[in-house]
Amino acid sequence: MKPMQETLVAGDSGNAYRGVCPCCSGLPFDACCRPILEGKPAPTAEAQVRSRYTAFAVKSLDHVENTHAPEIRADFNRAEAERLAEECEWENLRIHQAVEEGDTAEIEFVINVRRNGGLIIKAGRSRFRREAGQWLFVSTKPAPHLEHAQSTKINRNDPCPCGSGKKHKKCHGAAADGS
Amino acid sequence: MNGPLRFLCTACGKCCHGQLPLTLKDAFAYAGLFPLCMIWTPVQRGSRDFRMARELGVAVPLTGGREMVSLIVPTSFIPSTYPCPALVDGKMCGIHREKPSRCKAMPFYPYTEERYQAGYLRPRQGWECDVSEAAPIAYDGKRIVLRDDFDIEKNDLRDQVPVLRGYAEHMLKYSPTLPERLWQASLQEKGGQIVTSLSSLLTATRHPEAAEIASKQLPVLNAYAAKTSGDPKLSDFHAYYSGWAKEMEYMSHAIPRGI
Repeated sequence: MKPMQETLVAGDSGNAYRGVCPCCSGLPFDACCRPILEGKPAPTAEAQVRSRYTAFAVKSLDHVENTHAPEIRADFNRAEAERLAEECEWENLRIHQAVEEGDTAEIEFVINVRRNGGLIIKAGRSRFRREAGQWLFVSTKPAPHLEHAQSTKINRNDPCPCGSGKKHKKCHGAAADGS
Repeated sequence: MNGPLRFLCTACGKCCHGQLPLTLKDAFAYAGLFPLCMIWTPVQRGSRDFRMARELGVAVPLTGGREMVSLIVPTSFIPSTYPCPALVDGKMCGIHREKPSRCKAMPFYPYTEERYQAGYLRPRQGWECDVSEAAPIAYDGKRIVLRDDFDIEKNDLRDQVPVLRGYAEHMLKYSPTLPERLWQASLQEKGGQIVTSLSSLLTATRHPEAAEIASKQLPVLNAYAAKTSGDPKLSDFHAYYSGWAKEMEYMSHAIPRGI
């Protein structure tokens, strides 16, 4: 396994996202997906979906590979993923629903990417399983009905997407609130 | 039409152009020669070739409990106007003795039942096959007479069925839109195709020599990408070649998993 930090610190795309996190949480990259890409376990399954999306955006695909459930890890077509990461502009991720029950979770999401100028919209529902504190990707199904649905916004009183358990306004939303 | 049919190849080289369906064995053996991909061709229920497709291909479940059948054929993916890369001086095969079983079994076609092969003995327009009285009898009473190569190819295709079914299972799991795309392809009048990558096959089958095969493919794909660049008619081919080259580049350096 390659150290994640190298890719992120040395890579241009890593530097480009020092500001806002590519996962569209509205949080700073350093306070959102970056620590997860660098090895900190994602606090929630939703945070893991976000970090896996960000891994594509910053071309740090070790994270995507390592967060596959062990029984499907060898199914991951890393070569294709590398190509996808390189060829696409990762425009937008929206989480529609995140349901965690104990050590399993289902997350509905919509991804917008641009490839050769054309917009591609992928909507899906992914299953995750928590093992030794790590949320692992298990499977995904398309969810075409979500492609045109509205995104869920983080309201001030919603739980913070960083997974702290605090309200957004008391946590990472505090800065945005104050300004 | 039921009398004996004669056939002799005159080495005119005319059939050595465009896409070449291969067995998996031949595809891997010639990874350093042909630009490879997997071509999925839906076969309609009730069509002449449906029975063979069900035997040699895969079943694809559709919504509502229905099912369609598709061939998955490892293919040398070159434009129909391009000669086979093994063709020398436009006529002679540069790998004649070791050529793929598909080429050896010409003009017969393994994805059609033996009793329906007569049509393949009629040369296509511009081909110079000898079907005169001077040529040997190749097909008689709906049976192939000169059949060794036909049987070899057919057996190889039968042997690879489990691998293709495993591959299909993988693809259906990870490309959930595939059944819909195949369905759309099946509605096209001239028979649609879906193209999937060699990288997906090597991944799905956990091919132990993936890196080696990828390093053989890479220069082939780069050469075809260069050849097709700037030709607007071949822009789709160009995009495939250059995209797959990126995948092969990565795969050729990848350390095999599980080691």
